[in-house]
Amino acid sequence: MDLYLPIAEVSVNWPLMLMLGAVVGFVSGLFGIGGGFLMAPVLVFLGIPPTVAVASQASHVVASSTSGVIAYSGAGQVDFRMGGIMAAGGVLGAFLGVEVFRWLRLLGQADLVVALSYLIFLGVIGSLMLKESLEQIVRRRRGLPPPRKDRRRPLWLYGLPWKVKFPKSGLYISAIPPLALGGFVGVLSAIMGVGGGFILVPVMLYVLRMKASVVVGTSLFQIIITTAVTTVLQAGRNQTVDIVLASLLLFGGVVGAQIGARWSGRFRADTLRAALGLIVLLVGIQMGMELIVRPSDMFEIAPGAPE
Amino acid sequence: MIQDLPPADPAVVIERSITTLNAGEPVRVSAALTNAEVKVDSGFQGASIVLYGAVFNPTDAPVDVVVVVRGPDAPLRLVRKVQAGPFWLNSRPVVFEGAPGFYMTASTRPLSDIANFGQLRRLGVGVDHLRIAAPEERRVETRYGVRDVVVSRLGDDYLDWRRAVIRLREEGGLYATRPEGVTFVDRGLFRAQLDLPTTAPTGAYFAEVWLFQDGEPVASSNLTLTVRKVGIERDVYEFAHRRPWLYGVLCVLLAAFTGWAASRVFRRG
Repeated sequence: MDLYLPIAEVSVNWPLMLMLGAVVGFVSGLFGIGGGFLMAPVLVFLGIPPTVAVASQASHVVASSTSGVIAYSGAGQVDFRMGGIMAAGGVLGAFLGVEVFRWLRLLGQADLVVALSYLIFLGVIGSLMLKESLEQIVRRRRGLPPPRKDRRRPLWLYGLPWKVKFPKSGLYISAIPPLALGGFVGVLSAIMGVGGGFILVPVMLYVLRMKASVVVGTSLFQIIITTAVTTVLQAGRNQTVDIVLASLLLFGGVVGAQIGARWSGRFRADTLRAALGLIVLLVGIQMGMELIVRPSDMFEIAPGAPE
Repeated sequence: MIQDLPPADPAVVIERSITTLNAGEPVRVSAALTNAEVKVDSGFQGASIVLYGAVFNPTDAPVDVVVVVRGPDAPLRLVRKVQAGPFWLNSRPVVFEGAPGFYMTASTRPLSDIANFGQLRRLGVGVDHLRIAAPEERRVETRYGVRDVVVSRLGDDYLDWRRAVIRLREEGGLYATRPEGVTFVDRGLFRAQLDLPTTAPTGAYFAEVWLFQDGEPVASSNLTLTVRKVGIERDVYEFAHRRPWLYGVLCVLLAAFTGWAASRVFRRG
C-alpha cells in the first residue's frame, strides 16, 4: 500500500493520502473554503517535507476551487471583473511570495515564517469568526433579533483613484483595494500553501461590503488563478511540486468536496461558522506551539538549494 | 542532480593484500553483493542487500571483518535552535562542504575492540572517524543569495556540529553502526546485511571490506553499488527537473481537469 513519491523522495501510504484528501475536501465543501490551511500541517505531520507539502497541495486547492467556480458561475454568482482585478494582484503576490519563500528556505527561516503566519492569521481570523458566530447563536437561543448591520463602507474606499464599476458586486470603488487584497493573498498562497479564502471572504464581506451572494464564487475564481500561478512558479523555481502526491490528494479532495457541499445544507450557517472558527483557531495555535515547545533536538538539517 | 550512471557492472571485486604475516601465503578476502544495483521505483520501500565474502586465512591468528559502506558525498546544511524570549528560532545555517549521504559500518566485534583509535582514524572507519569535509578556516560564503557559514575543522564548536550531523542521520537510518553486523556463517564464510532506507540518496556507493588481525589491517576488498531511480519515478523526476515550467503547467491542468470532471460526474449523479 506504500507508494514512493518521486519529488518528495519518501514513501507514503496511498490510501491514507486519498483519505486525507477526502476529509479535507469534505471540510472544504462543507464550509465553502479551500482547506489548504488544514492540509499543509497534516502533510508535514505525516512526514512530507514542508516545502513539498506547501507546493503540492496548492494544486489540490486548484481542483477543489475549479469545481466550486463551475457551480457558482452557473448560478451567476461570480463577479469576473472584481475577481480578475484581484487575480492580477494575486499573480504579482505569488511571484513575490515564491521568491521570498525560496530565500527564507535557504536562510533556514521558512519554518519560523510559516508557523508565525499560521499563528497570526489563523489565530485572528478564527477568534473573530468564533466570537461573531457564538454571539449570533446566543442571540438566536434567547430569541433576540439579529443586531442591525452596519452597511457603511470605510470612507477611504471612495477616496482612492482608478474607480471602476462592479455591477455584479453592487460597487463603484477604486481598483486599488481589490488589487492589494489579491496581492496580499498571493504572497500567503506561496508561503502557507493556502488559497486564502479565509482572509478574502471576510474582507470582501465586511470591508468592501460586496453583495453577499457573489462573495464566495468570486473569491474562488481569484483563488484558482493565484494558486495555479503559484503551482507553476513552485515547480519552475523550486522543483517542489510532487505530481503523484498532488494527484492522490486531489482525487480524494474532489470527491470529499462534493459530499461536503451536500451536507452543508443540513446545518445552520452560524453553527457552521462557529465550527469553522474553532478549527481555524486550533490549527493556528497548534502551528504556533511548535515555536514555543522546547525542541527535542537542538540541531536540525536545513534544506539545501536545488542544483 | 540527476545521477546518470553507466549500466550496472557486476559487483567489482578488487583483492589486495597488505601484509604477509607468514612467509608464503598472505591473508586474503574476497567479497560480493547479492545485488549491485538498487532500483528505486514507485514501490520502493528501502532495500536490503547482503554482502557476503570469504576469508582465506592460512595463519592461526583469528581475523576480524569490518564492512564500511559510504553513499555519495553532498554538502549539508544545519541550523541550531536558539532561544529568543519564549520562541525557539533557527540560527544562521552552517554548511559542511561534503558529508556522505549514507554511512554504515558492520563488524564482527565493536570497532574499538578490533583496532586502536589511531588505526581507525587513519582508515576513516567508524562514524567517529568519518571524514566530513570541513576547511581549516571558518568562512562565510554567499550561495544562491544567502550568506552561509562554512564550518571550520578547527572551530570550538566543530565537534557539536559534527555530532549533530551523525545523530540526525542516525535517526533517519542513513548512518548506522552495527558492532555485530558481520556474522560468520561457516568457517571463513561471512555475511553482512545492508539496509537502505527510502530516503537513501541515489548515486554511487562504495563498500570496503577490511580484515584485521591483532589490531592491524591485513587485507581489504572494494565493491561498488549503484542506487538509481527507474521507471516512472525516474521519468517524473527528470521531467520535473529538466522541464520544470512545463511540468508545473501540466500539474495545474491536471488539477483543473479533475475539478471540472468531478463537477460533471456529480451533477449527473
